[in-house]
Amino acid sequence: MHRRAFLRSAAATGGAAALGSAAGCADREAPPGRVVVPFWFMYGGRNRATLETLVTRFNRAQSEVWVRAVFQGDYFEGLAKLRTALGAGAAPPLTHVVGEVVPYLAEAGVLEPLDHYPGARELPLHPALGQAGSFRGGAQRPLVVVPFNRSTPIAYANGRLYDAPAAPATWAQLEQTARALTRPGRFGFGCPIDWWYWAALVAQAGGQVVELDGAVTLGGDAGVAALGFWQKLVGAGVMKQPPGRDYNAWEQLSQDFLAGRVAMIWSSTAFVRYLEETADFPVRALPLPRGVRAAVPTGGTHFVLLKSAAQELKLAAWRFVRFVLEAESMAFWASETGYLPVTTEAASRLEASGFFAKHPNYRVALDQLVVAEPWPWSKSLFRIQREVVQPALEAAVLEHLDPGLALARAQKLAQASAL
Amino acid sequence: MKPSRPSQPFWLLLPMLAVLGVFFVYPLFSALRTSFYDWDLLTPPRFVGFDNYRAVVASGELLASLGTTLLVSAVVVLGSLLLGLGLALAVHRPGPVAALARSAVFSAYVVSWVSVGLLFLWIFDADAGVVNRALGAVGVGPVKWLTSTSVAPFTVALIVIWKVTGYAMVVFLSGLSGIPPELQEAAALDGAGPVSRLLHVTLPLLRPTAAFVAVTSLIASFQLFDVVRLLTQGGPVRSTTVLVYAIYEQLFRDLRVGRASALVVVFFLVLALLTWLKLRAFRAEEAT
Repeated sequence: MHRRAFLRSAAATGGAAALGSAAGCADREAPPGRVVVPFWFMYGGRNRATLETLVTRFNRAQSEVWVRAVFQGDYFEGLAKLRTALGAGAAPPLTHVVGEVVPYLAEAGVLEPLDHYPGARELPLHPALGQAGSFRGGAQRPLVVVPFNRSTPIAYANGRLYDAPAAPATWAQLEQTARALTRPGRFGFGCPIDWWYWAALVAQAGGQVVELDGAVTLGGDAGVAALGFWQKLVGAGVMKQPPGRDYNAWEQLSQDFLAGRVAMIWSSTAFVRYLEETADFPVRALPLPRGVRAAVPTGGTHFVLLKSAAQELKLAAWRFVRFVLEAESMAFWASETGYLPVTTEAASRLEASGFFAKHPNYRVALDQLVVAEPWPWSKSLFRIQREVVQPALEAAVLEHLDPGLALARAQKLAQASAL
Repeated sequence: MKPSRPSQPFWLLLPMLAVLGVFFVYPLFSALRTSFYDWDLLTPPRFVGFDNYRAVVASGELLASLGTTLLVSAVVVLGSLLLGLGLALAVHRPGPVAALARSAVFSAYVVSWVSVGLLFLWIFDADAGVVNRALGAVGVGPVKWLTSTSVAPFTVALIVIWKVTGYAMVVFLSGLSGIPPELQEAAALDGAGPVSRLLHVTLPLLRPTAAFVAVTSLIASFQLFDVVRLLTQGGPVRSTTVLVYAIYEQLFRDLRVGRASALVVVFFLVLALLTWLKLRAFRAEEAT
């Protein structure tokens, strides 16, 4: 008897679960007659939820196209899958990729030129964030990217520990602040030993990773100064370098910051919402300091259409890109995530609505864009970053190598390995 | 049973041969072929002869990743053998306490590698991890478990040992159960103490079991990937870049199919050599 009751109950539960799941599937099912556009994206957490909301809004706002968003891991995992799919002839029509890999993909001829797509050249993009502003010489090349989730590095301070009215304005002030905030069990400053932040320091020190003539100098003296600055702070015990690489290290540093083990960190503007909502202390976003000049690199990803997709799908995907860049969508995206509003219309909308006045942390990255540094249009940039610079930075900081020798070796490797 | 036709055994073997051919032999030959090309999957492959092999040797990547793999493997094999044997001897007795201990030790083996990685990321954190806090309480450390190039490979090995020792213990328990109790009794009657019985009766009879544990631990440590991916991503400064992780980096991070394939070929040759040595050792054992 008991067994029968159990079986009945199990059957009922199973049936309900099956119905529920069917309902969930139905919600994702494209209505008949729509052009279905697979869109590969690379976010988790809140950013993913916000993007999925935008996709749902787009799918409801019109009746011809149905975007199906497919999660593909982090940026680098997604890129690996994209490349494999391109090799297999099964790439989606639409995805988004990090800036450093754009020249590589463009030179490989896999990105769809967008110049002739409706309104492509008239998008009201922030000058620093479109292809023209993101890459040196980007305006002279066929348009292949449209900015999506763009960011800059910024500083986050624990408001309970750092109450100075302004941010540390120079490297020297940052060092003083790091020393002043360091206590037993707490680092004053933390930064991932990562290419992006090093590139920021190189630019602030007056250098460029790749020169205008294409020569890979890794910043020359500026690169050495940047690395030496990190070594000095780590050596003094006032800067934490988190374990792991890439986003693992970033996430680890966020956890240290939230737990009060680091008073001030460098991270991406994309973390602003997460840190504000998770911290049990007031979070202050601050601009990066200047070296011999003020400079920040931009980061994040750009929308790309893949040339291999059917024309009908690319045109349908382009409609979604346009929708995301509309002022309302982009303002929603930026205010929910902390990424930059990539169009001037969206930024104005946020300003006019009082959003920035109410949430000044979101404004810091936008204000920094006046000193944004474009990336070189170099096919090798991606490999210089991953294969050469990143290991060299780690080795120099962790093993206390001479920064000049470490970067000279890296430069030699970059030139010798036929990048 | 006699086959009805001479060809019957081959037909029966065909499904397995087909699976092996499609999923093992073909990819291996494919890797061998692509190891002679410069290819990023996006642009047409370009024949470069032995350049990929030269590049992985000249950059030091091959030797470094092979050395790291062998170092981690040696520590894992030795550690899991000694710990597995010690634990098996300790819990090879009746009673609920021993049963609980057996279950507790083995439970680590069934935990997923991802969970293990995340767990130890917290445990071995240099500043906030429980291990360093405990060491700090007695005035030791802090030890840079995951951020020191000289310590990180051993930390990874330690985690693998923690994970696979439960399995080694169960295999040793099985081996211990297979030793007839009369042999122990006879040795005791002859005046052998516990240590003598362990050294001269138990351990010699456990040699085949130990060889099996060593081989399975070696295979597990050669396949090491998940925990490296989660804990260190091959760092700091490539100190935990084992061979499988180096292949992953070349292929999926650096977009170099040819160099990844060259590493695959070398990896296959190393495994083939180890398998040959193992078979030779087993055959020598059987002969004696």
